Order: sequence, then structure tokens, then C-alpha cells
Amino acid sequence: MNSETRNDRLSLSFSRRFGPELATVLTGIPALVVAGMFGWILADILYHGLTQFSWAFLTSAPEDAGRQGGISTILVSTLMILGITLIIVVPVSLATAVELAERRSRSVRFDRLVRRSLDVLAACPSIVFGLFGNAFFCVYLKMGYSILAGGLTLACMVLPLLIRTSEQAIRAVPDEYRHAAASLGLSRWTTLFRIVLPAALPAMAAGLVLSIGRALSETAALIFTSGYVTRSPESLFDSGRAMSVHIYDLAMNVPGGNPRAYATAATLLIVLLVINGIAVRLTRIAGLTLNPSLEKNH
Amino acid sequence: MNDIRILGPLILLLITGCGGIQAPSSEASPTPQLSGRLELTGSSTIAPLVTEIAKRFELKHPEVRVDVQTGGSGKGIADVRNGTADIGMASRALAEDEQDLTIHPIAVDGVGIIVHSSNPIPELTAEQIVGIYRGESNNWSEVGGPDLQITVVHKAEGRATLEVFLEYFDLENPSIKADVIVGDNEHGIKTVAGTKGAIGYVSIGTAEADIQAGVPIRLLPLAAVEATTKNVGNGSFPMSRPLNLVTADSPGDLARQFITYCQSEEVHDLVVSQYFVPVTP
Repeated sequence: MNSETRNDRLSLSFSRRFGPELATVLTGIPALVVAGMFGWILADILYHGLTQFSWAFLTSAPEDAGRQGGISTILVSTLMILGITLIIVVPVSLATAVELAERRSRSVRFDRLVRRSLDVLAACPSIVFGLFGNAFFCVYLKMGYSILAGGLTLACMVLPLLIRTSEQAIRAVPDEYRHAAASLGLSRWTTLFRIVLPAALPAMAAGLVLSIGRALSETAALIFTSGYVTRSPESLFDSGRAMSVHIYDLAMNVPGGNPRAYATAATLLIVLLVINGIAVRLTRIAGLTLNPSLEKNH
Repeated sequence: MNDIRILGPLILLLITGCGGIQAPSSEASPTPQLSGRLELTGSSTIAPLVTEIAKRFELKHPEVRVDVQTGGSGKGIADVRNGTADIGMASRALAEDEQDLTIHPIAVDGVGIIVHSSNPIPELTAEQIVGIYRGESNNWSEVGGPDLQITVVHKAEGRATLEVFLEYFDLENPSIKADVIVGDNEHGIKTVAGTKGAIGYVSIGTAEADIQAGVPIRLLPLAAVEATTKNVGNGSFPMSRPLNLVTADSPGDLARQFITYCQSEEVHDLVVSQYFVPVTP
């Protein structure tokens, strides 16, 4: 018995002695590994990609199956697909998130049903959305392989993610704000647009950035909806190849396509960073327009 | 209001994009010219080649739009059957239950065995090649060559040449003991050229071009047939696969014109630049 207590004491002193260091190591190493992995991918893509990168690469059309020329037409298609996705997704997700977070709904069952279906949708593999988009938008609604069908398919895919993050953002606004607004006699409508949404905007912007990232990186959902055509799209009903599809094709299908695949991947990264910057800036400006008093918080 | 200034052009872009829908159809050409839209789906191996051919065809006939989509040979055949696509692309011969369709060969993809040019081995039998790739023979002396370690160069998963190779020798990919896994044909050729005891398999068109450029590799004959693009083209070389366009019973005028163009000598340079072999009728 004596030895047991001694053991206990030993282990206690061990954990006292090494506990903090151990914790630092246990949490620090995985964090380092994650940061290192990101750094490695970034460095690899930029190292291989930027050697091929030039202004002409961005402004000329692909030639010789993508081994030569640039990605101008593909860039245009990608931005058009993303534009459609955002035009659909932002208003719909904002409305749904407000409904879920703000309205103390009479029907708990309805809210639960909405939430559960959103979670299931968010967990769906993107190829499922691709096949759904092909069957519904391309074939049933007769859009064919088109930018419109691709954008709508991506919208379906991104919607659950954006609704859930927006809902969390609205919920995170302290109730004191709402109470204070109510005590001043503001209507719930005014409270929502003047107080709650501006306060939630930065967190919502983070959700939007995540959604844009997911949309831009999507290959499986787009190859069967917006398609493979490299010609510059003349309308929303034309097929247009997205950058992620182009990277996939160059890397997997085209012998000697690797250098240009890297260059396209580097461009995709840059586009992502630029769009993220714009999104964050826009929400900040929108927040200030809605409620200038929040300025000091930013 | 800054956001409106930034969103404005985007919205404008989308609106003008919508407006363009009717434009191509309303333009009546004064001379009787080919016009319309063709939809092709199918094999991802053929898609890059047909995309390039389509680009040249569109230059010749500005009123025509040829949309090339991928999804695999199976999808190409299914889409032609149910009428979703005008022309399918299949990088294999038609199966027995697909005989209702018509094939139009546009090129052949031949796969040849390569070794280092200093390797004196004249030819390998199918059993010897299977033995080497299964790891049963590890030295060239076991198959009648010099005393030299064999370096097995194999393709990465998903490569078209890999499928042709596995199918021809009736091999399963997990049973292969490879020393080096390579990506594209150029990568395979560089690896074999840099290793005296290496053996690999690559697209014959690529290998021939590199041999002419002085790369130290040698194509081995297979089943006593020399591995040349000529033999691939006339169908005598056994390890190859046809690159076909597929149509249902009555393709339209535009589809027929496009198929004829794909088979014409005008596009042979494009076929060669995609490392395939043009079919000589």
C-alpha cells in the first residue's frame, strides 16, 4: 500500500513537473504539422507554378490541349460560375439563417427538420451533387452542359455550409444587444438590420470565404454540369471549363500537362486570396453602412 | 454604397451574358454554310484530341459550335444511345451488346515495351514480361540477357497506357512489383533512358519521336511485330486500342461532316501532337 501511495506521489510529481511541457508538446506538434503541411503545399505549388506564370498565361486561350497557351477563357468561365453561385447563395442563406436563428419559431419540429436536412446535405460527397446537377439542371430542366447549370449545382452544394455558418454568426451576437434594442422600443426588424446583422457580419464573412473556397476548388460537381469546353463562353447557356476541372484534366489526362496544371493551381490560389480579400472588405463596408457606430469595434 | 460599385459590373456581365443567348441563332448567313451545335461526350483519353480538332473545325466553319465533354467511354456510348450527345467517343472496340452503333476510327493508341538502348535483348515473350512485372524475374540473365538487375518501371493508377498494358497481359494492378512508378510517357522514357537495366511501357508515338531525337531507348517487338507507329496504324501491332467516334443509326449532316473532318489528313498533325497514331485508310 505504501508503495502505491509512493507511486501516486511519483506520478503526481511527474505530471506536476512535466505536465505543462507535455501539454505544450502534445498540442504544439500537431499545430506545427498542420502549418507545415499548408506551407509545403503552398511552396510546392508556387515553386512549380510561378515559373510558368506570366501575364500572357492569364490573357491567352489554351492551346494544344492546355500544354501551351494560357487560361483566359477558363478564368472567365470560373468567375461566371462563381458569380451565379454567389447571387443565388447569399440571399437564400441569409434569409434561412435569420429564420433559424432569430425567429423564435412556433414549430420546433420544422426548425429541427430544416437543420437536420442541412447537416445531411453538408455531409454529401460533391460527386452526388454533380450527378444530381447533371440529372436535374442539365437533363430535366434542359439546360445542357452550361455555366448556369454548374453555378446552380455549386449553389446547392455550398448552401448548407453558408446557412450553418451564418446561423452560428447570428446566434453569437449577445442577447444583451437585442434586449437593449427592445428596451429602446426598436422594432425587431430594425434590431435585426441595424444591430444584429452588422454585429454578425465579420463572422458571416468568414463563412462566405469558406464557401467560396469550396466552390472554387470543386471538380466533381462541375465536370458533369458546366463541362469541359475551353472556348470562351458566349452566354450562361454555354458550357465552360472551370479551373479545377482544367487542373484535373492537365494532371490526369494530358501527357506533358503537369507544368501548366501547376501554373493553373497557382492562379487558382491567387484568385482565391484576392476574392477572400474582397469579400472581407465588402462585409466590413456593408457593416459600417448599416451601423456606423460599430466602427470602433473594427 | 461602395459595394454597389463593385457588384455593378458583375451584374452587368451576367445580364449581357444572358442577352447573348439568342444572338447566334438569329444571325442568318448569306451563303449556305455549315451551322449549328454538336455535342460530343465520352472517353477522357480522346477528349483532348477532339477538343483540338473541334477548335480547327470551328475556325473553318465560324457558325458551328462543337462542345466536347468527358465522362468515359461508357458514358459516350450511353449518351449516343439516348440521344443526349450527337457523337460519342470510345477508346475501345464496341462490346457485343453495342453492335447497334456505328464506329468511326480516328486514331490508334499503341503501347510498346521499351528498354535502355544498350540492352542487347532481342525480344521478350509475353510470359517473360508477365514474370518481370510480377517480380518473379529480377535479373536480365533469367530472360536471356546480360547479368544486370531489372528495374521495373510502371505507370501510376489512372493512366490510359496502364489499362492497355494490364488488359493485354491480363494482369491485375496489385500483383505488380514495380521499382519505379511514373506519371506520363515522357517521365517513363526519361526513367528508362537513365537506368541501364530498366524496362517500361509507353505510348509508341512518344517513344518513336524521342528515339529520333537521340534518347537512348529501344522499342522491343511484341509477338514478332515491330513496335512502330506504322504497324500500329495498320493494325498489326497487338498492344493497342482504337480511338473511335461512335454514332447511332443516322447522324445529322453536321455530325457526318465533323466525323469526316476528324478522319481527314488535315488533322493528322493534331493526332500526332497528342501522341496518337493517325489511321491510314
